[in-house]
Amino acid sequence: MKAYKKEVQFTIWMTAAFVLVGNVGLIFSIFPTEAMMFGFPVKYIVPILMGWFGVFFLTIVAGKIGNRIDDEIERENEAQESSKEAKGA
Amino acid sequence: MQWQLSNPVMGIIVVVATFVLFYAVSYISNRKSASAQELYVGKSNVGPITNGLAMASTYMSLATFLGITALILNLQAPFILLWIQLILAIPLITIIYGTSLRRMGAFSPTHFIRNRYGVKASIIAALFMILVSIMYALGQMIGIAVTFETLLGIPYMTGLIVGGLIIVGYVTIGGMAGATNNAAIQMVIMALMFIVPLAAIMKAVGGNGWYFPPLLYADMVPAMLEAVPTFFDYQFSPKWYFAIIPALTIGALGLPHLAMRVYTASSLKSARSAMVWFAFILGLVFSATYAMGFVGVFATATQGLEVSAADADKLTIILNLVYNPEWVTALVIAGAISAGLSTLSGNLLAIGALLSQDIVATLKPNISQKASLRLGYIAIFVGGVISIILAVEPPAFLVVSILWAFGLAGVTNAPLIIVGVWWKEANKYGAMAAAVVGGAIYIIVSPFVFPNIVLTGHSVTDGMGISGALLAVPISFILLIVVSYITNRIPSLDSRLTKKQDSELIEQIHGWKDVQPYRYNSKIGAGVTVVVCFAVAVWALMPWGM
Repeated sequence: MKAYKKEVQFTIWMTAAFVLVGNVGLIFSIFPTEAMMFGFPVKYIVPILMGWFGVFFLTIVAGKIGNRIDDEIERENEAQESSKEAKGA
Repeated sequence: MQWQLSNPVMGIIVVVATFVLFYAVSYISNRKSASAQELYVGKSNVGPITNGLAMASTYMSLATFLGITALILNLQAPFILLWIQLILAIPLITIIYGTSLRRMGAFSPTHFIRNRYGVKASIIAALFMILVSIMYALGQMIGIAVTFETLLGIPYMTGLIVGGLIIVGYVTIGGMAGATNNAAIQMVIMALMFIVPLAAIMKAVGGNGWYFPPLLYADMVPAMLEAVPTFFDYQFSPKWYFAIIPALTIGALGLPHLAMRVYTASSLKSARSAMVWFAFILGLVFSATYAMGFVGVFATATQGLEVSAADADKLTIILNLVYNPEWVTALVIAGAISAGLSTLSGNLLAIGALLSQDIVATLKPNISQKASLRLGYIAIFVGGVISIILAVEPPAFLVVSILWAFGLAGVTNAPLIIVGVWWKEANKYGAMAAAVVGGAIYIIVSPFVFPNIVLTGHSVTDGMGISGALLAVPISFILLIVVSYITNRIPSLDSRLTKKQDSELIEQIHGWKDVQPYRYNSKIGAGVTVVVCFAVAVWALMPWGM
């Protein structure tokens, strides 16, 4: 149960995080700002930076957690198998 | 004005050299595709860096190389904001369903749909996917024709036929193994041929940040604001920006040629590493294209450069012709051809796989390996020729047909895969209703079939399928969930459904060795999806105020 819940929650939250960092423009369309950053309008450069480095960072996190959840599923499978064997004996 | 290389011989040498390189790599890495599976996904032994570069290369098509700059010239900053989220494609495919399908051994999304929903649903999905791939390939063909036009100073038509046939021939001979190695090389070529010349252009128009063009052009912003005060304006309402999510973010999840890249990875871990490389390299190239678009608008507004509306798709090449030596433009043209080539090979191979594996081999399972392979080659070639024919009368911007294809994939394919992977109750009736009705609505509200039935009246928004997808994608999700839910509870349909096998398949592709009723069976999740989708679909029908 534990690994399943983690897998579902990871997918939902990670998807939401990816969609959010990839669509920062949507947020600035709702909350406009005329502020400047690094010489660019914030509403222009922040979506670009998040769409590159934000997504890049999330792929690293998603890769690590995805691998860990795979291992947990594998461990739960093994635990299931060994408990079946024990019952059989 | 006629934009072309004054010395076509140099351009031809560069392009020929590029092709010789690609053919050689194809030949070495793919002397013979022993089976149909090898033709399409290689031998599933591609390392993460090569695969990450190949993913980026397949994705970074002529839409990126030529199309983005053209639409930045037309729409300015909103188009950049639209484009940014396209980087999510491979990461989302990987985490939502790529690893599951890789575990299943599927070599196309339609393969999954066949196992999950049965033959009829998979054929419907495959037919839509062929249309998606052809529309996607169409945009590439237009770009190829435009590139050959400027390379040789020949008319568009001749450029289309010469360039198109060379590329279709290459892909037909190459297969996917050659394509994966080539795609990685093409990505490096594209990045260099785009960013280095961009640096020189930036320097020529007076930019101080030319040593890192993707991000360092802030010093040009004040002059830009003076010349084009509206450049950074959002122009459209939040609804427009929201509609990008169903149209392009979800749309990219349904693209057959992209998902196939996840399956070429040697392992799930390798596929996840590939996505990191993909994000890094694509972010770099995308940012550079925004800079190129910015510089293009800057040059037209402050430097007296004149680019006619008909030449918008050539902006990247024109900037090079104006500000760089000719040999640099020749290299840029080679980069553009690489961009078209890698994506077209992905598109055409997807068409080959769809027709030979997902339709013919499904209807005639006893067809021999040899016949199936031959059919695949024929389908690749015919698909290519069809996209050439469609490009004879092209839409105003090459990127329009490509983004429209994204939306169609988002309506007809993505819901079937996403819900199919995560919800056991999804069944073939829901899948067929979703693909057919959703697909029909999307096509009807696009300006291509009934120009009077559109949602916004803003031609680029309707043409790119952004408005259509905001309506059709949620309808597709609703139909899939509601029709499946109801038909699962009609006793007379029980014998026609494969509930037990569906449950086993879903558990297995998530890595489980046993079947538990509590997994992937959430009524709350399905209910919430239906309610949210209903609200979005109603919103899509309300006035857009454009």
